[in-house]
Amino acid sequence: MKKTNTTSTREAWILCLILGVIMLNFPFLQIFNTGRTLFGIPILVFYFFVGWPISIFVILLFVNRLQREEETETSDDEEQS
Amino acid sequence: MISPLLVAVISIIYFAMLFGVAYYADARRKAGHSLINNPYIYSLSLAVYCTSWTYYGSVGRAATSGLDFLPIYLGPTLIAFTWWFLLRKMVRVSKEQNIVSIADFISSRYDRSPWIGALVTLIAVLGIMPYIALQLKAVARTFDLLVSPTTVAEVGLQDLFPVLPTYVDTAFMMALVLSLFGILFGARHLDASERHEGLVAAVAFESIVKLVAFFTVGMFVTFGLFDGFGDIFNRFAQQFPERLSLFRLDTAAIPYTKWFTLTFASMMAIMFLPRQFHIMVIENADEKHIKEAMWRFPGYIFLINLFVIPIALGGLLLNGGDSSQADYFVINLPLAAGHPWLALLVFIGGFSASAGMVMVSSVTLSTMILNHLTMPLILRLKVDIRDFSAILINLKRFGIIGVVFLGYLYYRVIGDSYALVNMGLISFIAAAQFAPAVVGGLYWKRANKKAAMAGLSLGFLLWFYTLLIPSFVMSGWMESSILDLGPFGIELLRPLQLFGLTGFDIWTNALFWTMFFNLGAFLSLSFFCKQNATEREQAQHFVDVYGDHLVPEQRRRISKAPTIMEFVELMSKFIGEKPANAAISSYLKNHEINSRGSLDDHEIPALKSFTERTLAGYVGAAPAKIIIDNYLSTRGSEMEDVFDIFGTVTLSRTASREQLSVLYEAAKIVSRSSDLDKTLNGLLKLLMQQFKFDLCVIRFLDEQSMTLAVKAQMGMTSKHFGESERNLDMETYIGAAFLSNTASVVNDTEYLDKPESSQIIHRERIKSFAHAPIVVEGEPVGVLSAFSRTAKGIFTDEFVALFNNLARQVGIAWRNHQQLIELLNAREQERDLQIAKTIQMGLLPSGIPEFSNVDLAGLCVPAHQVGGDYYDFIRRQNGTLDLVIADVSGHNIGSALIMAETRTFIQAMRQIEQPYAMLDELNRFFCEDLSRAELFVTMFYLQYHPESGRLLYANAGHNNPVLWRQQTKSCEMIDGDGMILGIKPDIDFEQRETRLATGDILVLYTDGVTEAEDGNGNFFGESRLQALLEEHRDLSAKDLIDQVLEQIRLFTGSRHFNDDISLVIMKVIHQNPQDSTADKEQNR
Repeated sequence: MKKTNTTSTREAWILCLILGVIMLNFPFLQIFNTGRTLFGIPILVFYFFVGWPISIFVILLFVNRLQREEETETSDDEEQS
Repeated sequence: MISPLLVAVISIIYFAMLFGVAYYADARRKAGHSLINNPYIYSLSLAVYCTSWTYYGSVGRAATSGLDFLPIYLGPTLIAFTWWFLLRKMVRVSKEQNIVSIADFISSRYDRSPWIGALVTLIAVLGIMPYIALQLKAVARTFDLLVSPTTVAEVGLQDLFPVLPTYVDTAFMMALVLSLFGILFGARHLDASERHEGLVAAVAFESIVKLVAFFTVGMFVTFGLFDGFGDIFNRFAQQFPERLSLFRLDTAAIPYTKWFTLTFASMMAIMFLPRQFHIMVIENADEKHIKEAMWRFPGYIFLINLFVIPIALGGLLLNGGDSSQADYFVINLPLAAGHPWLALLVFIGGFSASAGMVMVSSVTLSTMILNHLTMPLILRLKVDIRDFSAILINLKRFGIIGVVFLGYLYYRVIGDSYALVNMGLISFIAAAQFAPAVVGGLYWKRANKKAAMAGLSLGFLLWFYTLLIPSFVMSGWMESSILDLGPFGIELLRPLQLFGLTGFDIWTNALFWTMFFNLGAFLSLSFFCKQNATEREQAQHFVDVYGDHLVPEQRRRISKAPTIMEFVELMSKFIGEKPANAAISSYLKNHEINSRGSLDDHEIPALKSFTERTLAGYVGAAPAKIIIDNYLSTRGSEMEDVFDIFGTVTLSRTASREQLSVLYEAAKIVSRSSDLDKTLNGLLKLLMQQFKFDLCVIRFLDEQSMTLAVKAQMGMTSKHFGESERNLDMETYIGAAFLSNTASVVNDTEYLDKPESSQIIHRERIKSFAHAPIVVEGEPVGVLSAFSRTAKGIFTDEFVALFNNLARQVGIAWRNHQQLIELLNAREQERDLQIAKTIQMGLLPSGIPEFSNVDLAGLCVPAHQVGGDYYDFIRRQNGTLDLVIADVSGHNIGSALIMAETRTFIQAMRQIEQPYAMLDELNRFFCEDLSRAELFVTMFYLQYHPESGRLLYANAGHNNPVLWRQQTKSCEMIDGDGMILGIKPDIDFEQRETRLATGDILVLYTDGVTEAEDGNGNFFGESRLQALLEEHRDLSAKDLIDQVLEQIRLFTGSRHFNDDISLVIMKVIHQNPQDSTADKEQNR
């Protein structure tokens, strides 16, 4: 049970890493690499400075999930003992 | 313009604050309330990543080339996704291995190789050199800007203090200050493994300061000088439409390849820069903090980058598009806007960024230099120093100064030719060289020493060639021809277009080629080269760090092992007396000390590892290994080769799989065959094959000679060991093993205490041996012995336990064998007896001869299966009836045989007419046989003439038959003189004669009848027989016999008789009365 959790979480992390690398590289960036602006800010700059906090938020979500998993595990352990 | 004095005073106040923080943290730690043991401080301390490169350089980069400052921060955000696995594993391994630096980490993983440690240190020191130069440059320039913003040249200090020599510029002063910082925070006392809490607290504090300062200036520029983000972008787009490409990628300045290179390099740098490694891994107080840092740290770098573009654009707008001083927009803008205090805050922030980096880097690098360059050198040169601990701390302090001034030197050489960011990137790509060795080492067991060495060397060489040399060239320090034409005019080897790879920027070119060779060599050598045992062990420690200590301790022993005190002395020499004593007492708390005040033989290697680990905490793993090895070798002690008794797999504390499989195999051998020799040879063969002994012997006690006699042996032939028997006394090891019923083990034959044994043992060049008693039901029956000529110290506790177990298996085989023999004997006998019984019963008359006037019956009840009783009826031609009753002594086959022979004789010798003659012939014939067999026969022979009623009889020592006289209504005994058959060849048998009348009953019997015993030891006796006869005289012969038997059974109270019982009864039914009373004596 614990093992599968860890493995699936690890897979999710690595998936996110790969996704992040893709979204921050050619050719994905090419989508935003235009001269257009949004609220006066070049769309590429906008993309980075909005996408970045979102990715940090994703990490935060994962960390919280990790925390919950661990808490249930420890409470399970306590119940058992 | 701010007065330099004010800057100096403010700076000094700030330094004092930093020290205050550091001391407070150290004091809290001593009080047991760690200040830094929380995720906030941990996350903040990681921000040591943001140096003056971030602080000043990012803005410069954004103003000149555009968005390519971003990958340096996006990379760490991406790699943070792996931290819960990668970083946590690095932390766990480092804690378990007592690792103190990245060089220590890599060298520990690869067999504690001192060469790898030295190489990593070299790469790190040279790689970080430009990075430190960058910090010095930034701090010096901003100081100069602050005190004399108008002068572009770096002259501030010179203007202020003209007395100073020319080489003492601001950067030099800064180098001095920062070295002092490093020493004060990182090298006040020696103990690398103990975390530098003061240093970390100061770094975390600095992180707050630099973020606040940068954020403030960002807000000031964005919302003070301009009207928000949109305003800056709009004005910039209007004023410099040709520069809008700054917000584009895939431009000449930022091709996608470069973008990727920078992302990758920064991902590696955040993990493997020595200072990052130190802060993230070594200074980590709790693995849980990693979880928090995973999002807090990216959050921090996001915030610190938020205003980079606005400041850059604002600077360009306000400076009319001049980007030559873009690196210092952060400090210039508040100055130009007339806010010197804000500029001072910025300076303090920038100083914080630099100081944090330089402090941590210099401490880390100086630790590495000390542990991996200086120490090995000192140890190799065998410098005789009494107390290393004092020297070590000073060496460390010198190291810090050395590292900072190496950076200073690079700064002097390179000067202004590189922008801040470019200098930093050289370091990033150097740090990336550690990635294959670290990551491969953590996840791939086959990654080996040679591969890591080759990968690191090649990566370093190419880094030097493709980055460092170009940086020297660009500063004008080297000929530029090497860049344009290649070395010696070989165009293929141009550093920036190596091997003809053109079209890429300097970073991509360098990263590609360094990684290509580094990773290529690492992977291919890992595939093709083999690891040795210790290397494999370390690999397991790293890769399986989460396993529940699956890796058992490697078993070794030390010859001429040092004592506990000697280990303590060794430790004190390097780490000081107090820490050494503290370490050993905490160690001994968990270990048993034996009667000699020392540890057991097998505990010494563990103590050795402990000493090594403790030393490693101070001087690093590789030097610790050298120290211990040197120490042992000068003592003449040797770590004896891992004599792995269980083949290639090492032993665990409890029964290992190998042990069990050996026992299982032994049990199989024991159960497979019932042949003892075969079983014993099988066991010896197993022992020899599994453990490579030179000789194995099994001896059993010979009860007659009371010696231990060889039953089986295998291995070298030797008269002294394999073939001779051993006396049972305490003078030999084998005798002691047998008599004391415990194994006697000698692990090193150089130390023997039994002179009788030692002579032989030394002659046979035996190095170690053991005797285990073969025990059956608690009693020793023999000894199992094993001898080795090749290895000492084979007999670990585990192995002796196994050896005892094998001896027990031999005992089981022996007992099985004994039981089998008994069983076979019993069965054999039983079968024989059964046959004998059948034959014997067949020998007794099967039917009763019929006579009209005589009622006959006979019965034999053997007590055991065969008996010696015999009766017979012989009907002669002339109508007479011979009656025989005999008793052969004993109740065995011999008796039965004699009985059979007797019968045969009698049957065959029918022509002998007279009873006395029959006895006489029989005696003559048998005497010799009987006396030889130590047997004898009693016999009563009668001859009845039914017509006349005449009865002739002769006796050979048999019980007297009872005769019931119907006429007198009384019993009488008939008798005749004669000795037992088989005593002597010539015996006179008296023959007598009587006449029987109607109603007379003759009872012949063996002693089983009269000597039948009751519970009180009373015999059945003749009188009872006679009374019985009188009472039941009317019964038929057959019924009479049954009645007698019944009465005997009642008398004895048992259905079974102790002796054979034979009865023959003849009842005269009808007889002509003539001379019935006249007894006529007849002599022969």
